[in-house]
Amino acid sequence: MVNRPFNAFVMAQSQFDKIADSLGLDQATKDLLRNPIREYHFSLPVRMDDGSFKVFQGYRVQHNDARGPAKGGIRFHPQETVDTVRALAMWMTWKCAVADLPLGGGKGGVICDPHNLSMTEQQNICRAYVRQVVRDIGPIRDVPAPDVMTTGQHMLWMVDEYEQIHGGRYPGAITGKPVGMGGSLGRTEATGFGVVFALREALKELGIRPQDTTASVQGFGNVAQYAVELYQQIGGTVIAVSCWDQEAQRAHTFRRKDGIDFAELRGITDRFGGISKPQAANLGYEVLPGEAWIAQDVDILLPCALENSITGESVIEIPKRVKIIAEGANGPTTPDADHVLRERGIFVIPDFLANAGGVTCSYLEQVQSNMNYFWEKDEVLGKLDVMMTSAFVAVSEMARKRKLYMRDAAYTIAIARVAQACKDRGWV
Amino acid sequence: MSAQTGTIRYPAFDRKFFDSDEDFTVIGGGELGGKALGLATAKRIIADSGLADAFAGLAVGIPRLTVLRTDVFEQFMAQNDLSEIADADLPDERIAHAFLQGELPPLIVGDLRALIARITTPLAVRSSSLLEDALQHPFAGVYATKMVPNNQSAINDRFKKLVEAIKFVWASTFFRDAKRYMRTIERDIRDERMAVIIQEVVGERFNDRFYPIVSGVVRTHNFYPTGPARHEDGVVNLALGLGKSIVDGGVTWTYSPRYPHHAPPFASPRDLLHNTQTQLWAVNMQPACYDPVSESEYLVQVGLEDAERDDVLRFTASTYDAGADRIALGTGRDGPRALTFGPLLELSDVPLNPLIERLAMTFKDALDCDVEIEFALTLDRQSGLPARLGFLQVRPMMVADEQITVEEAALHYERALLASDLVLGNGETTSIIDVVYVKPATFDAKHTQAIAVEIERFNAALVAEQRNYVIIGFGRWGSSDPWLGIPVTWPQISGARVIVEATLPDMNVDASQGSHFFHNMISFGVQYFTVRHAGEFAIDWDWLDRQPATVETEFVRQVHLDAPLTVRVDGHCGRGVILHG
Repeated sequence: MVNRPFNAFVMAQSQFDKIADSLGLDQATKDLLRNPIREYHFSLPVRMDDGSFKVFQGYRVQHNDARGPAKGGIRFHPQETVDTVRALAMWMTWKCAVADLPLGGGKGGVICDPHNLSMTEQQNICRAYVRQVVRDIGPIRDVPAPDVMTTGQHMLWMVDEYEQIHGGRYPGAITGKPVGMGGSLGRTEATGFGVVFALREALKELGIRPQDTTASVQGFGNVAQYAVELYQQIGGTVIAVSCWDQEAQRAHTFRRKDGIDFAELRGITDRFGGISKPQAANLGYEVLPGEAWIAQDVDILLPCALENSITGESVIEIPKRVKIIAEGANGPTTPDADHVLRERGIFVIPDFLANAGGVTCSYLEQVQSNMNYFWEKDEVLGKLDVMMTSAFVAVSEMARKRKLYMRDAAYTIAIARVAQACKDRGWV
Repeated sequence: MSAQTGTIRYPAFDRKFFDSDEDFTVIGGGELGGKALGLATAKRIIADSGLADAFAGLAVGIPRLTVLRTDVFEQFMAQNDLSEIADADLPDERIAHAFLQGELPPLIVGDLRALIARITTPLAVRSSSLLEDALQHPFAGVYATKMVPNNQSAINDRFKKLVEAIKFVWASTFFRDAKRYMRTIERDIRDERMAVIIQEVVGERFNDRFYPIVSGVVRTHNFYPTGPARHEDGVVNLALGLGKSIVDGGVTWTYSPRYPHHAPPFASPRDLLHNTQTQLWAVNMQPACYDPVSESEYLVQVGLEDAERDDVLRFTASTYDAGADRIALGTGRDGPRALTFGPLLELSDVPLNPLIERLAMTFKDALDCDVEIEFALTLDRQSGLPARLGFLQVRPMMVADEQITVEEAALHYERALLASDLVLGNGETTSIIDVVYVKPATFDAKHTQAIAVEIERFNAALVAEQRNYVIIGFGRWGSSDPWLGIPVTWPQISGARVIVEATLPDMNVDASQGSHFFHNMISFGVQYFTVRHAGEFAIDWDWLDRQPATVETEFVRQVHLDAPLTVRVDGHCGRGVILHG
């Protein structure tokens, strides 16, 4: 037997096939949805700082845009593959659909390592990328956003290039721009807050008072920090957080059994979400191995860092007390671990529902950008809460009525919505 | 899931709001504040007493509401670093502006948005502070209430207006009047925390206005009984439109619930016509001038002719018959309308007065003290019933019971600076040596607003030196209508311990019973004299003018006496006298 490397697209198609069968989709719809509707592969010749030219490989994949313009990030990654981009584009379609956003799914990538590129070179790549896809992206076609190793600065270069070519201002062509340059207030908090909005609704559904719960969190980056902050505001107690130690090249878990002091920990955290180990120890935190976050005797686990962090091996470490897992990260649970969680009856808020706050706020940014009228944060977060809550309620009702696992219920809703849009348009 | 305050649990806000089974919910943790706690108590009393459906066709209840409890206020203050600006001595507008720039705690915005998405009728955003409505310190009218029409088609617009109103009410915690008030009661403004009630406005839409047909205030103790009525019979004020007319001390219909057919003592039907309500307050349902730092941004005042067009006078008005010089019940004939509420009180179509009597009795018994109740009523414009009484507020009243006797003869003492048999309050004061008075020689109703500004300065100086004083002026103190008296707010005269309301031939209005202002005076133990220029007792202006002035302006004079005045008020018979030397 040949041991093939992990292929994200194969996994995404497999997930889709299972739900498509349960929904009884016809063959044409299945064929349409299990592959991207459009793909662009292109070469990006870029002038380097030393005067030489280097050619980078770029992709833009639009999985499906039946429900609206495609939406998805652009990744800069040395190990980027088109299949990864295809899988991520498909997942974006489902994420936008489960959040009931009028958007489709897309993703882009460039095979490069920004660590080895100057800012000028990165800017050149951004502008070259836009020149290649300028006819195929934009506010009414496909709206890119930041992703792995791309930031608001990259998006600003890209939207500038787009506008230079089109001869006008089109802030709605790309989201994730800095506030004041077409970005939206609330975007920074959106993903983490969205995780807690969904968690709050899950607690209501299970009849558990937030103030009676404790949680352990994987990660202390942007998503985790805002999730911790809001979870504490609803009354919960976080007793452990884990994060990556760049210096030691391994993760640590920081624990205080009567509850961490969020402000205190944030005060000793670098901009990548790394907590200073010596300072934390001085403040009385226990420093445990990185994987210890999963074994804490808590009610809630919040994996908000990496994919594949709850595996077939680590899932057995999860104590009996754990009732809810809210997946703030993308793909934190492997399929075999997911099977165990399902068997144990743990209430899982799947990643593409739990972390949909980010894309929801991107959608709100796009709407504001298209109007060139920007809302106050209250307004953005109010919409975000209502949209996340509605998405959660729809999925949990589906799960309850059809006795489905939450992840399956979320996929069912998302795929059914997209399939219906394709049918309504007469595509299949 | 329920939220808990102390030992009582209140249901958490349900995003279905009007479709929810719960009509009293909370958002966030902390305390409810005085007003909301009063409403929670009222809800229970109404349910326990069977008042809700005691009168067929006349429903009684608390209008649907949700309370943003005090933790939300504290989070808002902390998250936006507002403490410093809140403490600063800045104009109210600046404070309000700073609060409007603040961001709401993220956990409540979804609930507010869900609420606003389901409702398109007006909402009242009301203060409910920790210290508000406590028995000793009523804070009545010190903090803001803001009505929003909430009828914009876009949810975004409605949400924005609601959020602005909430922030404005929070900001009012730190307005100048509130700070002065806190100084007066010797409390630290930093102790205060503000819950906010978001409540449906009871009323109906009439053209571009929204208002209840009747607003009312019921008090179980009457400080000014007339005719056969006694103090303990209580008193009711009724107004057409929003209750602002009553609580601001405007012209309203006053009667004893024991004698609902007895009109107040007007000199003649024509006098009645000229001294009953001619203007009403309503929520303005048309686009208004944007002014988020104004409490009355969405309020409008209209005349009776508009009310007639709205067809709301059938149960509220009578008609002046000029030929016979009499008031004819109802609006069946042409002629000037007088808001006597005659059809409502004299006919039995709507059992409003029996309900009021029962409400007053029930709440007085349940709370074991005299009470003041605010309500709003809607009714079928043709037949009266079905009708709905929305219970808006209940406050305990402080009625003094110290036994002081003032014989009639004492009113005629030679050394009486002034005397009256229309006095509110009870007790004896012998420590006041300052008198601030509006000079009768220069008084003109057109200057009352300027006079109010001058008086505020006198008050500030005296309060700074911790000197209480007697204040004498013309017309109704605290009237919102500058033509009916001097439009001060309570904090502008907060150092006065004796207030004298005098009349002049050109300023001849009835005594004030304006709820907000009045309630504060009672609770601070302020003695309140009414001296009518054509009455038996007069003010000794000559003696006052002979005293050397400490400060004198165009309209106001302050004198500092060598010896303290003796102020005696007999609360049981309503007599009082101020003696000098």
